[in-house]
Amino acid sequence: MDRRQHIVTAFDRDLETIEALLARMGGLVEAAVVDAIRALETRDEDLAEAVRRGDKAIDALEEQIDIETARLIALRAPTASDLRYVLATMKIAAALERCGDYAKNLARRSTVLAQMPAIDGASGSIRRMGDAVRLQMKNALDAFIQRDLELAEQVRLGDHDVDQMYNTLFREFLTHMMEDPRNITACMHLHFIAKNIERMGDHITGIAEQVIYLITGNLPDDERPKADHTALAAGDHTQEGAWQSP
Amino acid sequence: MYDMGMAQSVAAEAAGKVSARGVQVFYGTTHALRDVDIDIADRAVTAFIGPSGCGKSTFLRCLNRMNDTIPGCRVLGDIRLDGEDIHDPRVDPVQLRARVGMVFQKPNPFPKSIYDNVAYGPRIHGLARSRADMDVVVEKSLRRAALWNDVRDRLHDAGTGLSGGQQQRLCIARAIATSPEVLLMDEPCSALDPIATAQIEELIHELADQFSVVIVTHSMQQASRVSQHTAFFHLGELVEYGDTETVFTNPVDPRTENYITGRIG
Ligand SMILES: Nc1ncnc2c1ncn2[C@@H]1O[C@H](COP(=O)(O)OP(=O)(O)O)[C@@H](O)[C@H]1O
Ligand SMILES: [Mg+2]
Repeated sequence: MDRRQHIVTAFDRDLETIEALLARMGGLVEAAVVDAIRALETRDEDLAEAVRRGDKAIDALEEQIDIETARLIALRAPTASDLRYVLATMKIAAALERCGDYAKNLARRSTVLAQMPAIDGASGSIRRMGDAVRLQMKNALDAFIQRDLELAEQVRLGDHDVDQMYNTLFREFLTHMMEDPRNITACMHLHFIAKNIERMGDHITGIAEQVIYLITGNLPDDERPKADHTALAAGDHTQEGAWQSP
Repeated sequence: MYDMGMAQSVAAEAAGKVSARGVQVFYGTTHALRDVDIDIADRAVTAFIGPSGCGKSTFLRCLNRMNDTIPGCRVLGDIRLDGEDIHDPRVDPVQLRARVGMVFQKPNPFPKSIYDNVAYGPRIHGLARSRADMDVVVEKSLRRAALWNDVRDRLHDAGTGLSGGQQQRLCIARAIATSPEVLLMDEPCSALDPIATAQIEELIHELADQFSVVIVTHSMQQASRVSQHTAFFHLGELVEYGDTETVFTNPVDPRTENYITGRIG
């Protein structure tokens, strides 16, 4: 993709401003995910609290990106790759904002879980899933910054692994709950956490798709292999929304 | 279901209202256009964009043989209007220009009344048999050009006394008074303010219901607002031609991309 300079140099400066905001936002969201998972594993309530408070900064950055992109559309009427850039940036910022919300939700649940007996092996499994998602997020953002089509494709396909991890965790938690009903509350929270991480994976896939659109001008159209079969395992009534409520 | 009429109209559409093949233009030894192939759709707006001097006006003038009037200008290649060769010796260039009308950058009404400006074309082509006939043609053309309400009470005032935007609409009324099939517009809004520009754009939109409209414009926004097809010219070449939407969101050629995004090419 052509990244030559504009004749109107202020246009380039506007684009650089937006890119810098998005890079900062990506950094904050990545850190929120890492910290939230660490807070869960180490039962660190202060760290969880810091993650919850940090979400405001992420929201503020998204808003600022919205303002800057709207301004750029109004004043510079971007076309072609510039237009795709602005549209992709807005959508990526929205996806990151959602990921930030999930991290906040995760931190909130980790505070509740810190008051309960630990479930064997659960926080280790959650951490592995979190690590996988964080790597996906880092790769998606790198693909954006470097306009790396191959990396973006890799991220898009990589979400399959996250879905698989979620399926495995889902069964693990079911087993714990069936073995001892006293585990149910903790397992429900852990399950919501796993589901939140799985949803982050979907938003990261969305980011990768925006990068593909930015570079090629086309959204990938072939349906991505989806590996979340838990809706079938748990019966039809388990609509996605039902698993979402905090 | 087999429909002969449909099949024919599809074939006509595929070939375009106007189709040009291998068009070359020379001004003396200057090679101004190189090997242009294009099919221009009927009842649609086609925009020609590109840097100054790339040959947009030259190509536009090929379509109604206005280049014939420029000394030293040589046009090669095949240009067809509804499949008819416009360079055929049997084609009268004056008749051709009644079928392929033109509007210029600067509004250039004749120093005559508003009425006579519009009546000029129909009069020389003998399109109205009586004064009453002519009144109908003039009113219809002024209405189509969205000027009737502004001038109905002063048809015999000088056309040059109108505002810039009104003068340009008068020129459009004059161009469409001969019921052309193709309307060529060479930067028709570059001398107009934004309100007059918007009015002309609205008009172009409506005219495209009846005519094939070709507009040369330096405004990317105007091209994207008014046209369904866009052709990008560069150094005498037709570099890219496609749906306006595609050209403005995902152009194929890097020269198009650099031009429309305002990059140093
Ligand atoms: N009447 C003319 N005599 C000689 N050269 C001309 C004439 N008109 C245009 N040209 C040359 O032909 C090229 C294309 O010009 P033109 O069609 O006016 O470009 P555009 O409309 O895209 O600005 C330019 O190099 C210009 O100098
Ligand atoms: Mg010109």
